Amino acid sequence: MKSISELTDFYYKTLYPTLEVLEKERETLKHRVVVIGVIYTLCCGLVALAFLSANVGFDIFVFFIVAYLAVGGGIYKWLISDYAKDFKHKIITPLIKEIDNNLQYTPELHIPSDYFTRSKIFTSKPDRVSGNDFVRGKIDGVSIQFSDFHAEKRHKDSKGRESWSTIFQGLFIVSEFHKHFKGSTVVLPDSAQSTFGDLIGSFLQANNFSRNDLVKMDNVAFEKEFVVYGTDQVEARYILSHTLMQKLLHFKKRSKHPLYVSFRGGKIYMAIEYNKDLFEPSVFHSLLKYKIAMEYLNTLHLAIGIVEELKLNQKLWSKL
Amino acid sequence: MSTPMIILIVFIIILVLMYNSLVAKKNQVDNIFASVDTQLKKRYNLIPNLVASVSKYMEHEKSILEEITKLRSEANRPNISDEHKMALDAKMSSALGSIMVAVENYPELKANENVIHLQHSLSEVEEQIAAARRAYNQAVTDYNNALEQIPTNFMANAMAYKRKQVFEIQENERKNVNVKELFN
Repeated sequence: MKSISELTDFYYKTLYPTLEVLEKERETLKHRVVVIGVIYTLCCGLVALAFLSANVGFDIFVFFIVAYLAVGGGIYKWLISDYAKDFKHKIITPLIKEIDNNLQYTPELHIPSDYFTRSKIFTSKPDRVSGNDFVRGKIDGVSIQFSDFHAEKRHKDSKGRESWSTIFQGLFIVSEFHKHFKGSTVVLPDSAQSTFGDLIGSFLQANNFSRNDLVKMDNVAFEKEFVVYGTDQVEARYILSHTLMQKLLHFKKRSKHPLYVSFRGGKIYMAIEYNKDLFEPSVFHSLLKYKIAMEYLNTLHLAIGIVEELKLNQKLWSKL
Repeated sequence: MSTPMIILIVFIIILVLMYNSLVAKKNQVDNIFASVDTQLKKRYNLIPNLVASVSKYMEHEKSILEEITKLRSEANRPNISDEHKMALDAKMSSALGSIMVAVENYPELKANENVIHLQHSLSEVEEQIAAARRAYNQAVTDYNNALEQIPTNFMANAMAYKRKQVFEIQENERKNVNVKELFN
């Protein structure tokens, strides 16, 4: 697989002419967004003044501000939609092809929500899912797919008002796993032990009724970072060999975001929590900026690299 | 209800909980030892075939092969203790390890399909054994901790529970096994 520096070269050399064209498009678009934004805000300000003089309740005022932000966000998305489409088509698509030619990229789709539920990483069932930037294909004979994914839960308060909370937002990756196993094993960030300390934390972990049995691992660094639940103590350790534990730790350090992993039905599921929509361009930041470019490159490299990084391509004999 | 009565009931509940947790820990150890045992048996079953395939070629390793056969027949005897099984497993692992290294010196063996298949099966079983051993060690550690920690240690003493031994994990098992290097 291509290294990050090779990809950076590709981004700044091969894609440079395209970047320049997009950069011009962005400048004009930024100007338009600012002008429309100012006009929109002024209009809303006038309406708000009219409301204030009419002495309306606090509730309506809050509703007005929420509506102002929501509609504003909608207008912004609509204004930049062509630019975003161009960006994905002209920049992200060639980048993915450059990393591996066998991969297919569909900007509008996301990972089937079945995978999300089946992974059993999150115990609450989502009521609404969305996402985009679906990539799938085979690397070294191992199938892999991932996308941006956003799962939400609906809540209703006593007055019947609806609200949504996020279960997960970030990168969701599904790949074949090279070992044969029957049960399920889930690896989660160790929030209890880091919040409540060793004693109370481990008591809470051992008595988590929404999960299977706690599996204590014999790698101190791994235990500190993660907590493992599984249906079978031996199988969990068969999957999480010393080597894989090290690799997951390394992967977690590279991604710099909370990492959730599960092993079920011959597959490995990985959820990396970014809490934002990935691979989206912003009109306020130049695509030529190193920091912005590296964010796209690193995320793609991280997701596609799991086959190599976790050695999923080293098939064991039981699976041949 | 009088206060002494309530205190007595709480005390009895605590005793029952302690007793149950100790029994659960002991059974967990036995339960996981059973899976270690299953995997060990799987490996012992591969041995006659392995010895038959390699003994024709291996001249210098006759003594190791004999030892392997001896260890296997010893392990197959009925009513051997868990500690004995663990000791046999350690010897068997190191003997098999040296045979696998020695195979590298015989080009005929390296190319022999039967031997290649056996090597693959063995390395798979070894992985399973390693996992089962680690699970066993964790169960034993939990059990031994309960035997020494307050307040369960008083209860364990009364129940005459004894400390159990863990498997010694060999240093080379902690290392990354490079499958490609092994079979090339």
